[in-house]
Amino acid sequence: MAVASIAVPTRAQRQKRTGAGRALATLSRRRFALSARTPREIIVPLVNPVVFALVIAPALSKVIGSFRPGLDYVSFVAIGTIGLLVPINTMFAGLGVLVDRASGAQRELIAAPVPRSYLVFGNLSVALATTSLQVVALIGFALLRGAHFSASSTGILWFVAAVLLFAIGSYGVAETLANRMPTQEEYIGVVPAVAILPWFFAGSLFPLSTLPRGLAAFARALPLTHALALMRYGLGVDRLGVGLHDIWGMTNVQVMAGLSLLAVALFAVAFTVLSVRVFSRSALR
Amino acid sequence: MFQESVVDRSLSGRRNLDLHARLWGVEPRRAAKRTDELMAIFDLGDIIDRPVESYSGGQRRRLEIARALLSRPRVLFLDEPTVGLDPLIRHELIDVIADLRERTDITVILTTHYLEEAEQLCDRVAVMHLGEIVGLDSPDALLGSLGAELLELRVSDDPIAAIDLLRSRRLAGDDAFAVGATVTVPLHRRRPARAIAAIEGLDIETTSVSTRRTTLDDVYVRLTGNRIDR
Repeated sequence: MAVASIAVPTRAQRQKRTGAGRALATLSRRRFALSARTPREIIVPLVNPVVFALVIAPALSKVIGSFRPGLDYVSFVAIGTIGLLVPINTMFAGLGVLVDRASGAQRELIAAPVPRSYLVFGNLSVALATTSLQVVALIGFALLRGAHFSASSTGILWFVAAVLLFAIGSYGVAETLANRMPTQEEYIGVVPAVAILPWFFAGSLFPLSTLPRGLAAFARALPLTHALALMRYGLGVDRLGVGLHDIWGMTNVQVMAGLSLLAVALFAVAFTVLSVRVFSRSALR
Repeated sequence: MFQESVVDRSLSGRRNLDLHARLWGVEPRRAAKRTDELMAIFDLGDIIDRPVESYSGGQRRRLEIARALLSRPRVLFLDEPTVGLDPLIRHELIDVIADLRERTDITVILTTHYLEEAEQLCDRVAVMHLGEIVGLDSPDALLGSLGAELLELRVSDDPIAAIDLLRSRRLAGDDAFAVGATVTVPLHRRRPARAIAAIEGLDIETTSVSTRRTTLDDVYVRLTGNRIDR
């Protein structure tokens, strides 16, 4: 028998609904306690990107050299690895949703007198916090390995906005898939396609201009392509905005950066809305 | 409270209670006091700071009931709370629910397939069949509908033919029913010895004949058994 039952709060309690901030903070603390209990849970997703930044990028740099005058390949790939780190970390965060549903307290939380979207936002806030921590660590490792970043305060804002919006969108994808996939096995099966495959096309290791025309058109449609071009522009790895030019073909860097930020923001908003909708619907099943 | 355990297993019992209190808007000081009260009532004091994954099934159930009571609900839904528990823990939990019923004025709605639990714990029992309530009354009244005592025959031949024969001889009423090879006949005011003697004179091949007290299981089968009482 699959009857959901709840301990009904009294009318007074319903009227005095839990404050939004307090509820969100509670849900975020819960998610943090569940998914970041040990340093291992934060460090493990960092391993691949850090190995990439510390070992593979310098090695490739040595072999390939610089494909564009004035561009440091170690720095180029260091930013590229963020494009691997963020989707992997957010997809791992999505696993928590599946665990919650299968053997955790999801139904108890759904019965609580708080909007269902708060559950998604609580999870998202922790995914953002751990992702941010990992991106900072990655940048630190890259600097130690010889990457050069020269960013103005505006550049840092471009970078931070690109990372955060891309992470929000990626988490939206993860949450949506987690609520659509019936089992953890199926979810894990789609992780490579969602988190890793786009990375090969999005100008992570080489510029977009080196791709065949059809693939380049496909790459331009990927939010990750816009996010990486913005991050490189923001941190001064691609000061002239060549990556942005490869996407938009314009000359005004600020306009191109704004358009790419808009593309990433649309990705973030669309998948956040979709994830809340899918979660709310799946909660009724 | 849900049929399956719905808790954050890697968190401590206290943390689970705390999360619930915060989400249900219970003021922190009141929540702490209430947690202490519930820990005492449900005997959770020794385990409350341990991760819930280390709890036994019964301890987890007690924690869940305590959690549901943190916000002082007026109605408590318990969805098959004893399913999957071993008999000892099951009886322990039944005691907890019975105690809760005595101590508080909370309305408890319990769904269960173990009808002796319903008989023991409930003031009113609704029997559901195919999404509809087919019987609703106090346990005593439901039991009374079949009388205090039943005659039970295990037959070698067709049980439906046996019921038809018993009815034709006015030894069974419309409320007699069969489950598998067992024919159950409510005795109402008939004397058991006289009924058995009468049956022995009929052309019914039985492997055993006995009498026993009516249970809610019999009432349930009688009310829902259209598959078997043809």
